Amino acid sequence: MLYNRQFALRPIDDGRWTIEERVQSIVYRLRSVSYYHKEFAVNLQAALPPIPEVRLFWELARRSFQRQMTYRAATLAGLATNLFFGLLRVAVMVALYGERTTVAGMNLQAAITYTGLGQAVIAFLSIFGWYDLMRSVSSGEVAADLLKPLGYFRFWLALDLGRALVAFLLRGVTVMLFYAFFFDIITPVTLWQWTALTIALVLSWVLSFAWRFLVNLAAFWTPNAIGVGRFAFGIAWVLSGFYMPLRFFPTWFQSFCHFTPFPSMVNTTIEIYLGLLMGPALIQALFVQLFWIAVTILACQRVLRAGVHRLVIQGG
Amino acid sequence: MKGAQRQHEQAEGIVKQPLFLWGMYWRLIGVQVRAQLQYRTAFVLEILSSGITLFLFFLSMAFVLQRFGDLGGWTLGELAFLWGTVEFAFGLMDMIFSGFDPSNFGKQVRQGFFDQLLLRPVNITVQVLGSEFFLRRLGRIAQGALIFAFALSLADIHWTVGKLLYLPLVIGGLVCFFGGLFIIGATGSFWTVDSIEAMNILTYGGSEMMAYPMHIYPDWLRRTFTYIVPAIFLNYYPALYFLEKSDPLGLSQILSFISPLVGMGMLGVALAFWRFGIKHYQSTGT
Repeated sequence: MLYNRQFALRPIDDGRWTIEERVQSIVYRLRSVSYYHKEFAVNLQAALPPIPEVRLFWELARRSFQRQMTYRAATLAGLATNLFFGLLRVAVMVALYGERTTVAGMNLQAAITYTGLGQAVIAFLSIFGWYDLMRSVSSGEVAADLLKPLGYFRFWLALDLGRALVAFLLRGVTVMLFYAFFFDIITPVTLWQWTALTIALVLSWVLSFAWRFLVNLAAFWTPNAIGVGRFAFGIAWVLSGFYMPLRFFPTWFQSFCHFTPFPSMVNTTIEIYLGLLMGPALIQALFVQLFWIAVTILACQRVLRAGVHRLVIQGG
Repeated sequence: MKGAQRQHEQAEGIVKQPLFLWGMYWRLIGVQVRAQLQYRTAFVLEILSSGITLFLFFLSMAFVLQRFGDLGGWTLGELAFLWGTVEFAFGLMDMIFSGFDPSNFGKQVRQGFFDQLLLRPVNITVQVLGSEFFLRRLGRIAQGALIFAFALSLADIHWTVGKLLYLPLVIGGLVCFFGGLFIIGATGSFWTVDSIEAMNILTYGGSEMMAYPMHIYPDWLRRTFTYIVPAIFLNYYPALYFLEKSDPLGLSQILSFISPLVGMGMLGVALAFWRFGIKHYQSTGT
């Protein structure tokens, strides 16, 4: 509160703003400040020398991380749901395997671990959907966001970084700890595997974010963008290998999946964890991830440029 | 003065008549249906897209079973029977009982809209029932029907008159059961918001669970859903009867026929809890 008052009373051009205060004025979005103040902050930024983008990026990510940390009840509930569904998936796998030992290169232990990893990345990659950007378009906040001295994509990337980190720690790691406690799961052995896993996790997050960003841009065109989102996220559940390991599918359908960016979001990471991808195949998978990131981000930029021209802000 | 009082009493009498409530319910829903039909393209696209999504799910299940042969002794067609009935009934319930959807109803309570309803001189249950109606749930219902149609074509069921007559009762039982869970969750939100999430595990988790044969689950989980939440009687046991499968759990065959009773019992308990909740409801003051 005190901060807001200070903010309002200072004249625009007194030049006594510290860097910290200016950062604060840009990350207003993570606090509830009146609309007047938002406008004020934006005007002010235009008049002063620019703040390094990297600094802004990390500040936004940090704020988003802190905010996400405060949603304790939601985290707990989400965790409980992931564990319950994980339990169901394990039962399905056990029933499917029956007496069989190895199917498509995976034994039951690997299949059970697969279900755990699937549940663990739900929150991290927002697999069930992410509509924050759409909401900001319908509420009009997008106007101020587009004026920020930080690219629109990078702005949302920073916010999603904070969110994803919390989700990774509190939902992802925790789910795997529970799995390790209740079931006999696989863990990567070699240092190289852990390194590759870390790279794949980061890449899968960037790719999933770019995809979610692209889908959300539909809101620049239609007020019914949520329907577009449901569809786009829905097909990803199956094609990414989240619902069932892609290895269980017939070869022709696997290759069909690999013509889309979705396997690079979930399946690749899990297969690296399980040690199913090794050597050259692993390196290739990482490069495929990179390729899809480049393609999707390029698409994001194109679509964003077209969308901004179309966008009409309804009131304020 | 006296005339006014008589008029008032008359009005009160009308408001309590079942026919009036019935008309009121349809009027509340009619408004929403008309509003939702204004966005016809969005409606069609949404149903189409959710249809494609579900088709993908079914396809991947079919692929997996092609590789494995069966799931706990059940074929794809037999699984589709479970899946289709649950999907169909859940969609139907979700359309009728949307007003009680805990995540939505909880918001109404927190924001004080529920207080507005309480001030109106019409039965509160009817008002809440009529407060939300999503036509797009037709999509899920149609999908359920589609999966069920797959089941019929894949799993060679020997139809008898008894089975034909019993099928709607099973669906009705499922609708009552899920509706009961929604009402219990909604009532819980009078006291705490966190209850909503717990109920979501029961409703959404429960419906996912019931899409697979219950004998594949670990004992403690299956017992919970037999004795505490009697979900097992709603579609697993009836399915054993329809598909003429033997019960791996070795319980009495009569249990295949109690599905409508269990469903209505659940709804009855839920309504009693709902009335108790209304009586003790204290507004949040917002």
